[in-house]
Formats: sequence, structure tokens, C-alpha cells
Amino acid sequence: MEPPAQFVHWMFATGFLLLGLCLLAKAFVGEEVWNRRAWRAYLWPSLLFAMGVLMWPVMVFFTNSTIHMLAHGSWAQVMMLAGAAELGLVRGKLHSPYWRLTMPLALSVSGTALLIHEQNGWLFARSAFLHHALGWTALVGAIFPLAAVFRPRSPVWSSGLALVLVVVAVMLYSDRDVAPIFGHLSPVAGEQHR
Amino acid sequence: MRKLASCALVALAFPAAAGAHATLVRTSPGFAERLAHSPRVVRLQFDQSVKVLPKAITVFTAKGKVVSGSARASDAQRTIEAPVRRLGRGAYTVRWTAVSADGHVISGVFTFGVRHRAPPATEAYGSGGPTTSEHLVRWLYFLALALLAGGLGFRLLVLHGPLPPAAERRFYRLVGLGAVGAIEVGILAFLLRAEDALQLPFGKFLYGDLSPIAGGTRFGTAFVAMTLGFALVSAILFLAWLTDRPLLLWPAFVLALGFASGLSLSGHDAADRGSSWLSELADWTHLAAASLWVGGLVMLAFVVWPLAPDLRRRAFLRFSRLATGLIVLILSAGVYLSVLRLPRLSDLWTAGYGHVLLVKLGLVSLALLWGAAHHFLVRPALERGAPLFARLPRSLAGESAVGIAILLAAAVLVDSKPPPQPAATPPVAVQR
Repeated sequence: MEPPAQFVHWMFATGFLLLGLCLLAKAFVGEEVWNRRAWRAYLWPSLLFAMGVLMWPVMVFFTNSTIHMLAHGSWAQVMMLAGAAELGLVRGKLHSPYWRLTMPLALSVSGTALLIHEQNGWLFARSAFLHHALGWTALVGAIFPLAAVFRPRSPVWSSGLALVLVVVAVMLYSDRDVAPIFGHLSPVAGEQHR
Repeated sequence: MRKLASCALVALAFPAAAGAHATLVRTSPGFAERLAHSPRVVRLQFDQSVKVLPKAITVFTAKGKVVSGSARASDAQRTIEAPVRRLGRGAYTVRWTAVSADGHVISGVFTFGVRHRAPPATEAYGSGGPTTSEHLVRWLYFLALALLAGGLGFRLLVLHGPLPPAAERRFYRLVGLGAVGAIEVGILAFLLRAEDALQLPFGKFLYGDLSPIAGGTRFGTAFVAMTLGFALVSAILFLAWLTDRPLLLWPAFVLALGFASGLSLSGHDAADRGSSWLSELADWTHLAAASLWVGGLVMLAFVVWPLAPDLRRRAFLRFSRLATGLIVLILSAGVYLSVLRLPRLSDLWTAGYGHVLLVKLGLVSLALLWGAAHHFLVRPALERGAPLFARLPRSLAGESAVGIAILLAAAVLVDSKPPPQPAATPPVAVQR
């Protein structure tokens, strides 16, 4: 028996919120202070990697369409890749800073997959609206980690990424399987949930 | 280029032309349900309203005869149903398609049986069976397994100690390629099988319902378990590399071998007539030993030989010992499975399955001869302390190539249908 999709979205929202808060704290205090405790350097990349691993069960158990399955599979892979690259850099196993390009890649792939796999218009229902909003947020938000690769000391770019992740978390928390958006719900969307 | 980018942006911004993506929530009869009596109707219930086409539900017999009438909608267009004739004993396939209120087409397939076992959805009426693409994908899957399980086995059972950094890097690259390959190729194999079952063009297949295949067939269950298993193996492998802890390779190795059993538990040796736990075990032993052998050869030829010269002699001698045991396992399990699947010797030259098996046996004989040359000629010389033969790396690469070719033959063999088993002879009444 599958749990409602909204429960899964809320669980991942918690992950993104923690991720965003860690990055925001790191942007506020600066990389040197943040990395004074060795474990803190591993905190957010490990969380991102674990979220990627946890996306696989979502991919294989929610198979009501091919595109849905492929979208979840792509999120699982890019999250694991971005988390693994950052862990490799922190540990000193990887050396090129260009490995950080995996983060904008992850956001771009995730945003595109979100937009492609949502087939309804913006105002069809709340979940459709959020899929569109999340997709565009991820696509546009990819600019922040991309710029941070070339200007790693700029607090604007690093805090920008953190805020993008917090916004993603808020949007995922707002999700309901069938609910209106701005008072509008398509008559063919199914029965409204509480 | 600008036009293309603009079109892509517009398409992403305004997908509203595509419609509601209704999901099938319940069917009657259920997926692969065995019924005691003929149903009067076939009913599909969706979470959103849908438009009904005249052939929204088509029910086929096993021979392709249509036994359903015109479909109609009820329950605020969320349920569609089609009447069926009185159905006799047998297996039936339901193919359905519906249009959401705003134009989007969704489709699916499932099976049921009346006083008869329902076939899995992958064997529904209209499915074409494995194609050349499926053979290639299965071969790639075997290769990925060989790199993953064989590579890990070689590192843990043959090379215990530390490796030179360059060899260690290449080892992780090859094994990581195997782990990622097992996941990606597994997804591709699942989608190819699902596409064949659904019989839909690509555009419609993207919105095809995969749940009867993922949840209602052995193949689907194996896909779910193996995808999750290999994702976990990839994570453990990454941690082993990141933390320089080869001890973590042990759980990755055990899990990789364990989840490889998904193939054995969903193939001929689990589902066909005459199958038992013994045939499943034999199939898994055959697969695991072959993966260890081919993967080990690849590691020896492409990791140890070019990048760890000091370890060449020790690795060759140890792998030679291990390979002897693996060959014994491969041969005994293979002979048992061949006898089980081919009840008559003549099936070897009369059945398609037998032809593929003959090709595989030919390749296995070549590999055995090659291995025997290494075992009986090279190994004793190396044990006596003779210098390493200059042509040995090429010879190892050649043996690996033959092993890879055997995996291709095995992929075609697994996708082929074994000849039917002879029916059990009824006991003859003794007249007194």
C-alpha cells in the first residue's frame, strides 16, 4: 500500500529545509568558521546524498506512469551525484572545483524533470501549480551554485542557493494531493482532500 | 539555436495543452486475478474524470478474440466499464485507453483468468516477446553484474592488501561503472518489457500505467528489489572509496551477489513448469560464478597487469585457483539446468533454445581450453619462479573477450523460450 504522495513530499521538504538551513548558516558565518568542526563540513553533502538514496524507493513504488518513474529516477541520481561530489571534495578525494558544477546540474535536471512530468496547467490544482513553480525555481535557482563555482567566496551566490532550497521546502510543505490553488480547482481534478 | 531554446522555454511554460493525468485507482477484475466465474463487466475506476472512447476497454482471449462490448462511463465519468460475454475457462487480456477531460491520453494493460492462472502482464495477448534490443540490454546487464560482483570478488578474494593508487582508482571506476550500469540498464530493461506489454507508441507510452507490471509480475518485483538493492550497493561502494575502508566492500559484495538472485527468481528457472527452489539456486550459482569469473578476468587484464606490476604473479596464481572452483560450479549448475530445460537430447538441434545453447556450449568449450592452457601451462611455470610471459596480458584479454561473448549467448538464451516439457503420462488402469 503506497502512502499518499503528499506525505512523501513533506518528508523530502524536511530534508530540503535542513539542507537550506545548513547552507544559510554556512553562508552567514563563512566557510572557515563553519568548517572548524570537521563533521559540519560533511553535514549537508551527506544529507543530500542520503536524500538521493531515499528517492529510489519513491521511484520504484510510484509507477502510475513512465514519465513519473523516470522523473523520480533522475532526481535520485542527480542528488546522489551532487552529494557525492561535494563529499569527495570535502574529504580531499576529488580536487577540481569544477566538481561543484554537479549542483547546478542537479538543479537544472530536477527543474526540467518537474516541468516535463507535470502535464496539467498552472491552475489545474495546487500540486500542478507547485510542480510548475518548483520547476522554474530550480531552473532559475541553478544560477546561484553555477556562479558560486566561479566566485566561491561571494556570500550572495552561496546564500542564494540556500534560500532556493528553503523556498523549495516551503513549496513541498504546501503540497496536497488534490487541493485548490487561489480558490481554483479543476472540476476534473478529483475529490478534494482536507 | 535561439529558436530552439525559445520553443523549449515556451513548451515548458505552457504545457496546458496536455491534459489531466488521471490515474487508475481500481479495476475489476483485479490485476492477474483468478476468478471462479465469468465476470459480467470489466470496470476501471480513475481518480479523475475521463472521456470514453468506443474501444476504451477491449478484452481479448488468449488467441486474440475480442469478447467485450462498447464501454460506457458512470460515477461522474470517473468509472468506465464494458460488458463481456460469458467467458469460458482461460486467460484474458484487458487493454484500456481513456482520454482525460482536457485531451491527454492514458493507457494500460492487465490480465485475469477464469478458473485459470492469469499470465503476467508482460505475457499479455499482443506482446511481441523479447527483441534484439532486449537481448543487448540483458547482455549489458550481465556485463554490469560481472564488473560489479566479479570486480568486488576479485578485490576481496584475490587481492586482499592495498593496491597502488592508480590501480585502486581504476578498480573503483570499473566497479562503480558496474553498479551504475546495473541500475541504468535495469531501468531500461524494465521499460522495454513494459513497452512490449503495453504495445504503445513512445508518446503514449510515457503516460502508460506501469503498476500492473511493476507490482503484478515476478519481473516487476525483481526490478523493484534489484533497483533498490543496487542503489544501496552504489552508496556503500561510494562510502568505501570515500573513507578508504575496503572492509565496506564486503557488504557491497554480499548484497550485489544477493540481489543478482532477482534474475534467477524471475526467469525460466523460477516461473516455468518443472521449476523448484533447486533450479532457482542452480541458476543463481551459475550466474554468480560466471560473474565472478568474467569480472575477475577483466580486473586481472585491465587493472592488475597494466597498473600493479608487483602484484601480477600473486594475483594470477590466486585467481587461477579461484577460477578452478568457479568453473566447477558453472559447469555443474549449467549441466543440471540444461537437462531440466531440454528433456530430449534432440531438442539441442531441433529447438531454437537448443541452437542458442549449442552456440553457448561452443564458446564455453573455447573458454575452457583457454583457461586450461593458463592453468596447466602458465601456472606451473609461474609457481616455479619463471619470468612472466610477454604475451600473457593479451591472452588474458582474449579470455575475457570470450567470457563476454558467452554472456551475450547467455542473454539470448535467457530471453528464449525453452521447448515445452512433455505432459505427464496418466496412469494406465490395470485390467484383471
